[in-house]
Amino acid sequence: MWAQIINTILGLWLMIAPAVLNYDNDLANNSYIVGPLIITFSVIAYWEATRVVRKWNYPLAIWLLAYFLFFDYSSEIGLINNITVGVLVFVFSTVKGKVEGTYGGGWGSLWKKDPIHYKEEN
Amino acid sequence: MKTDNHIPPGWGYNPAQWSQRIPIVILAIIGFGIAVYLSLYQLNIIDEVWEPFFGKGSIKILNSKVSNVLPVPDAVLGAFGYLVDAVTGVIGGTYRWRTKPWVVIVFGLAVGPLGLVSIMLVVFQPVLFSAWCTFCLASAVISILMIGPAMDEMLASLQYMQRAKKKKLSLWKVFWGVKSEIKKVN
Repeated sequence: MWAQIINTILGLWLMIAPAVLNYDNDLANNSYIVGPLIITFSVIAYWEATRVVRKWNYPLAIWLLAYFLFFDYSSEIGLINNITVGVLVFVFSTVKGKVEGTYGGGWGSLWKKDPIHYKEEN
Repeated sequence: MKTDNHIPPGWGYNPAQWSQRIPIVILAIIGFGIAVYLSLYQLNIIDEVWEPFFGKGSIKILNSKVSNVLPVPDAVLGAFGYLVDAVTGVIGGTYRWRTKPWVVIVFGLAVGPLGLVSIMLVVFQPVLFSAWCTFCLASAVISILMIGPAMDEMLASLQYMQRAKKKKLSLWKVFWGVKSEIKKVN
């Protein structure tokens, strides 16, 4: 869970970084959109039963890295900041942390033919 | 027996127990209070709204086009959403993941998508209006905090319905908690 808390802080940082580092407009908007989403997914992943949601931050992290391939930017420090945040978010999203409960096999069980919660019953 | 404690098969605790649900209901009630306050401003019943950090930010956001794109202001919809969260959070006993799947699933759907709408509204603030609104952000934080703890109960109900399906029971009856069907599956 500590890894997801770090990601929440990184998402918050994305929301205030444009004001602190003086980004250009488009790059700032990108931060304003991606920041709250990273916060949301990382907070949902605090709970064991929804820890899997941390993986929803993978595409957002990759997007932060790939942004400059598709759009112009004039703020170098802004771009470096976003790329650094992207790398960090990706790394911390991979950390599953401690999951002690079984949750009947979790969300994945819903698509399994022979789920754990069904075996448990029979 | 595990089922005597109303713990779903393969689980370590009961996601429908009150200690799991009461915090979510409290958050929903706080969210409802904030949304009602913002509604009063948007409906012109009060003239001012408290904004400690962002100057004219709240006024800008609460009077924006996005806030008023529907026939009722967005805070009114938010208040209604939180009310649904609180009510569906309270209805049913500690066995409701099995006896009332419909309530649990409506609860989960109300908490989940409402949270996502809140995030959309946060995103709109700086991107479209270059402003922030303290109470709108607070409301979003509350919505986001509710999602994780509400989803485990929905998972238990969905797994229960999956077991019912495997036993070839009527999912319609199981969803509505018809007693004759409940007895046939754990």
